[in-house]
Amino acid sequence: MISIRSVSLIYPNGVRALDNVSLEIGKGDFVFLVGHSGTGKSSLLRLLYKETVPTSGEITVDGIRVDRLKRGRIPALRRHLGVVFQDFKLLAEKTVWENVAFAMQVTGAHSKEIMREVPRALDLVGLSHKSRMFPGELSGGEQQRTAIARALVNHPKLLLCDEPTGNLDPSNTTEIMELLLRINLKGTTVVVATHNQAVVDRMRRRVVRLEDGKIVTDEERGYYYLGLGQGQVLSG
Amino acid sequence: MDWGKVKFFLGEVLRNFTRNAGMQATAIGTVAITIILLGAFLFVRATLAGLGSDILNQIEISVYFTNDATTAQEDALRSTLAHDPRVATVQFVPRKEGLAELRARTNGVIDTSLLTENPLPDKMRVRVHDPASVPNVAAKIRKMKGIGNVVYPQTVVERLLQLGGVLRRIGLVVIAVFLLVAGIIISNTIRLTVFARRREISIMQLVGATHMYIRAPFICEGLLDGLAGSLIAVAVLAGARYMLWPKLLLALPWVQLNASVVNGPVLVGQLLLVGGFIGVIASWISVGRHLRT
Repeated sequence: MISIRSVSLIYPNGVRALDNVSLEIGKGDFVFLVGHSGTGKSSLLRLLYKETVPTSGEITVDGIRVDRLKRGRIPALRRHLGVVFQDFKLLAEKTVWENVAFAMQVTGAHSKEIMREVPRALDLVGLSHKSRMFPGELSGGEQQRTAIARALVNHPKLLLCDEPTGNLDPSNTTEIMELLLRINLKGTTVVVATHNQAVVDRMRRRVVRLEDGKIVTDEERGYYYLGLGQGQVLSG
Repeated sequence: MDWGKVKFFLGEVLRNFTRNAGMQATAIGTVAITIILLGAFLFVRATLAGLGSDILNQIEISVYFTNDATTAQEDALRSTLAHDPRVATVQFVPRKEGLAELRARTNGVIDTSLLTENPLPDKMRVRVHDPASVPNVAAKIRKMKGIGNVVYPQTVVERLLQLGGVLRRIGLVVIAVFLLVAGIIISNTIRLTVFARRREISIMQLVGATHMYIRAPFICEGLLDGLAGSLIAVAVLAGARYMLWPKLLLALPWVQLNASVVNGPVLVGQLLLVGGFIGVIASWISVGRHLRT
């Protein structure tokens, strides 16, 4: 699903966000990208939906060479994937239903399709009963579920989440993670960038750890901290 | 036809349009003023062009032969002019007829019965197709034999030709400046709506809306600004045409202004087109600038 080869990203101000990173993620995988803030997790995700262009290296997403993709083809790429952010990025003056429908309306979907798909997406995230409410009337977890419904409404094969639980309390965090897991079980590839140790340690999924723009570990069924699964204990 | 789509799109345009009422009014007002100027200019130019060409077309070259000019010399000039493509008509006025004309024109103020002999030479009236060629044709005639004097209202021709050119150029510059100003103001208005909706635009880009799709409501907003402004302008101009124009004609009875040379519907169409065009171009540029960054 995702293939990243020798990718480096140097920002115009000289900051080296990613340094010769290579990573393969298969179809249907569930992967955590972990590491402190500023280690390149968000930069890596942004490269995948071409919000940022790598300085060097190759990026392939679902068979599309993203690094070589022409500007005019970016919309087509983004319709193949969903993106979820820490700050939800919902439109305050639109209802839950309208926020989800928005993703279809602006990509030119037929209104019959919209009437069919929006309820399905809202049902998946468990918000059918709040579809007429505005984001301001919802809890943080519900807002994030709305954002996830919007990301999923176009049936993407890949869901990218950038600190999806960063603004949520523990119970909402659990709720969102369970939802992401359910989505993954339906066959969608899910990549979650996070620095929430509790979530990562509880879920026991593939963990890719970034430090200073480099991948330092990549473990199947890993923990947030390196090698914790092998019985090592880190102090502090 | 997907009415859900249409409703969504029109909703977006209407929301943009009503969000910044003050700025929108400024943009529409500027377009209106620009189009009023443009319309008035085009209208006056059309009527003046008619006036100028009337005067110019009446200009004739009077060729006076010397008293001892032979018939052969006169015939030579006539045939030379007949072969000149610039010349429209040639009229020979024998000296007898000349005297009769003079009598008629002076209407007894000058008592021609006192004349013992006809003091007038034979004369030829020459008219050309293009007023601009008058000086050249006159110069050519002067070189012929048996010619006494060649007279035409030289300064009138030159001044009229010059003045027309200068007025046209000044008018065009003024209009161009105003069009530019109107464009900039519309462009800024659209930028405000773009700024107010930057969150929505970023989400649109995120979920894969095409640039064309993101642009469309803003382009429509610019088009509405342009068309609304030119509609106001057309209304004002029409009012002026039917209420002020007759008074102007009465106030300037010696100026022969002919409003009927102006094709009203075509002019209105042109003005609406120009207004809509500025709106579209201006909004296209300002949204494009936002999408590129």
